[in-house]
Amino acid sequence: MSRGRGLIPYLFLLPGGAWLILFFAIPMAFMLLVSLQEGSLSTGYELTWNFGIYPEVIAESSDQIIRSVTYAFATTVLTLFIGYPMAYTIAFRGGRLKNALLLIVILPFFVSFIIRTLNWKMILADNGILLGTLKDWGMLEAGFHLIATPAGVIGGLTYNFLPFMVLPLYVALEKIDPRLIEAGMDLFASRFQAFWRVTFPLSLPGVVAGSLLTFIPAVGDFINAELIGAANRDVTMIGNIIQFKYLNANDFPAASALGFVLLVGVMVLIAIYTRVVGSERLTS
Amino acid sequence: MTAAAPPLGTAPIRSAPIGQRLSGLVLPVITALVVVFLFAPLVVMVIFSFNDPAGRQNITWQGFTLDNYLTLWGRPDITGPMLTSLTIAAISTLVATIFGTLIALALTRYDFRGRSATNLLIFLPMTAPEIILGASLLTLWVSMGVGRGFITILVAHIMFNVSFVVVTVRARLIGFNRSLEEAGMDLYADAWTTFWKVTFPLIFPGILAAALLAFSLSIDDYVITVFNAGRTVTFPLWVFGVSRLGIPPEVNVLGTLILLLAVAFIAVQLWQARRQAAAAQTVTIRGR
Amino acid sequence: MSDEQRSRIEMAIVRAMQKDRVSRRTFLGRAGKGGIAIGAALTLPGLIAACTPGGSAALEWANWPAYIDIDEESDPNPTPYPTLNAFIEQTGINVNYSEVINDNEEFFGTIFPDLEAGNSTGWDIVTPTDWMVEKLIRLGYIQELDHSKLPNLAANAADFAVDQWFDPGNAYSVYWQGGITGIGYNPTITGREITSFDDLFDPAFKDLGVGLFSDTRDMLSLSLLSLGIVPANATMDDVTRAQEKLLAAAEDGQFRGFYGNEYYDELSAGNLALTVAWSGDVTQMKLYDNADVEFVVPAEGGMRWNDNLVIPNGSTNVDAVHQLMNYWYDPVPATTLAEYIGYFSPVAVVPERIQADADAARADGDDAGADELEVFAATVAPTEDQIANTYPYKQLTEDEEAQWNDLWLQVMS
Repeated sequence: MSRGRGLIPYLFLLPGGAWLILFFAIPMAFMLLVSLQEGSLSTGYELTWNFGIYPEVIAESSDQIIRSVTYAFATTVLTLFIGYPMAYTIAFRGGRLKNALLLIVILPFFVSFIIRTLNWKMILADNGILLGTLKDWGMLEAGFHLIATPAGVIGGLTYNFLPFMVLPLYVALEKIDPRLIEAGMDLFASRFQAFWRVTFPLSLPGVVAGSLLTFIPAVGDFINAELIGAANRDVTMIGNIIQFKYLNANDFPAASALGFVLLVGVMVLIAIYTRVVGSERLTS
Repeated sequence: MTAAAPPLGTAPIRSAPIGQRLSGLVLPVITALVVVFLFAPLVVMVIFSFNDPAGRQNITWQGFTLDNYLTLWGRPDITGPMLTSLTIAAISTLVATIFGTLIALALTRYDFRGRSATNLLIFLPMTAPEIILGASLLTLWVSMGVGRGFITILVAHIMFNVSFVVVTVRARLIGFNRSLEEAGMDLYADAWTTFWKVTFPLIFPGILAAALLAFSLSIDDYVITVFNAGRTVTFPLWVFGVSRLGIPPEVNVLGTLILLLAVAFIAVQLWQARRQAAAAQTVTIRGR
Repeated sequence: MSDEQRSRIEMAIVRAMQKDRVSRRTFLGRAGKGGIAIGAALTLPGLIAACTPGGSAALEWANWPAYIDIDEESDPNPTPYPTLNAFIEQTGINVNYSEVINDNEEFFGTIFPDLEAGNSTGWDIVTPTDWMVEKLIRLGYIQELDHSKLPNLAANAADFAVDQWFDPGNAYSVYWQGGITGIGYNPTITGREITSFDDLFDPAFKDLGVGLFSDTRDMLSLSLLSLGIVPANATMDDVTRAQEKLLAAAEDGQFRGFYGNEYYDELSAGNLALTVAWSGDVTQMKLYDNADVEFVVPAEGGMRWNDNLVIPNGSTNVDAVHQLMNYWYDPVPATTLAEYIGYFSPVAVVPERIQADADAARADGDDAGADELEVFAATVAPTEDQIANTYPYKQLTEDEEAQWNDLWLQVMS
């Protein structure tokens, strides 16, 4: 790590950093002010430094906050279990097809989210191809449904966030020198041990990156709960509440406040996570 | 599974004990299953692109037709949004990848004041709910008197893509062996050339992965785009609108065509891989 | 409008459709195949116009998808919408038609900052639903109409389509298309006929799938009606009682979900046995996607709603907008429109004209087409019964709106 190389790091940071400050930080600072306003559409909004809104929205939506974190966590774990073998295969067995295989992973996501989800709903329809057949065979009871259930929503989240896990994992796995793994095979008795003691630790930066890229956006997701979950009360996430408050209730202060609660909450979780996994090695 | 298993399309077939061969199949099988899972809705999409529905909905099979493919080109109202989305995605990916890679490089190689602030700045856009991101940008535009359209969508997409690029490229840069670069410096004596000849090729997979991610994020974005679009219609906006009453077959056609394009790309890669493998074998035979 | 003008319009429409007579079946078939199209001009000039604020002299019209007739087979000339092309040809006024409204509130969210700042929104004419019109009037965000420029409105509008609760005297809006919110259900799944709002609360249907709308006003109003209260007269106490009824059932898991337009897929696919639904949708579903479904206005009453054409502040092309509004009240384009959209048309003579088209089709030997047209002739205007048994929404002050929203959010979450 070069220390104090003068201006170079700042030069590198400049384009992206300036962009983010201009088009993210400033607008968000404004939203922070909005969250402290009070008022309504007709009377106008006034900045009253209403910090009380924060405990208020937290208390009101604590269910959804907890649920969102839980769903996002489940999604992260699922995508890790499903995505790791896939990334591993592409990285070590892909050969010259690596780029093509990566493209395959990403491909479903060039087709709009709506199409993917609506087609999934068709597949998972209560009496459709999948469930209907299983019901006909007597393997499922008649009232069983996947739409509008937590399982359905988490399934949708997992599906939609899979590339967010696979790509960083691949990136980290691909740079592992195969000779290290061979050495591990010589050292350890079983292939699994070789994997667990050598390959996995080396791929940890990818696991961390993938987890962050999956967990963070998943917490704030609202579209899966809305489309697959049919906005059923058992599956509404914090994103749905924010959506409703902003658009339907025009309660901009509350919506902003909830947005910032989400922001801060997730940042805290990330801090804990990176500490647990050993941040120095991973972010330096 | 052996870590030294030959990459697909190269080395000759070796005999291996059954146990090893079977367990060597585990990974590819899992991968295949995952691919099936990923593509299931797309299969439905392809099938229904040939559907001939009498009404507006495209949810029950009513008859085979090729018409949808033929009429698509006379529908600028469909191909237009797709083109817009592709253009925005391409540009925002390019810009965001450059910005993000630079930031990732700075973060992993230099210790400078403001590192933690930068880290924060990177993570926050991913955390913020899309509606807040989109609405706050809209307020910025209104206060600056900027009309919403193509440019504002582009700005927004670049904004949220940068973070994802940084995190992905960083996963590649961590643990990067600087001694290779130092060797390169000896050879090329110039940081710029070293970067292009040594560093860049080595981190390229990370950059490519980040670019793919950014592209798919951009081409699929709805909420942020809605608030920044004005009268411009991107593909997700259009699909969301028409799908209120069911996806028309034309949408499936477009999706299928995109799929075909990518499959063609993959086929080309496969073919190239075969050729390279054959060439490599030829070289080996000739001896070096 | 003179006969000469009328026949000019007719000729223009016919030319635009490039056929002498388009049978209902082929017309719908073509419309149905392509589904709906968004007409934003995305050619390069269109892109440039979109980039630069303060664009062209054309009228910018924001509407919902599937709300105008479309011809997919011919080249857009200048738009894919025959009736709109006829207007453009007749008046020389250019219209940029954008199907960007997916949701009243979402759309409002995108124009609100401009309206609040007193800027132009970029739109000359938009199509909000009745309660949103009320809100816009209340906030002072839309312009008053000049009825001297709307002779067709006075001459041709049906009684049910004018002078409504949210805009007395049509000071700010004209009726575009409308419908009824009631209950759509599949008798083969429910096993019996559905007649009442309370059927949605029947525990026997819990596992079969019961759907509600996600809309505050719709749901609370229907619940009020089921308690015997006319929504327009409801007090806050009444509304609370209505909400409690819904909340109890919701907490019990009675409702599969709270839907926007997605209920259509669910009802059609059989995921829902019965759900709150829109009349026009169920007619379409019955014709094309699932012949089993039925629509019923709950015995206690259903809700009547409609979308409207309004002029947001900052629109400068006000004369041209009035001409466009006036155009839609001419029976010729109004009939074409109704035959495509299938919801209530505000022009009184439309049902007869559709019936005439049906008769003509039958005379041509196109029985299938004639049948469809007759279905629409019967459904593009509310019957006396329906008018008697459906109710308008309550006008809400901002406080009341907030309270209603809060109450409803509790039910949904």
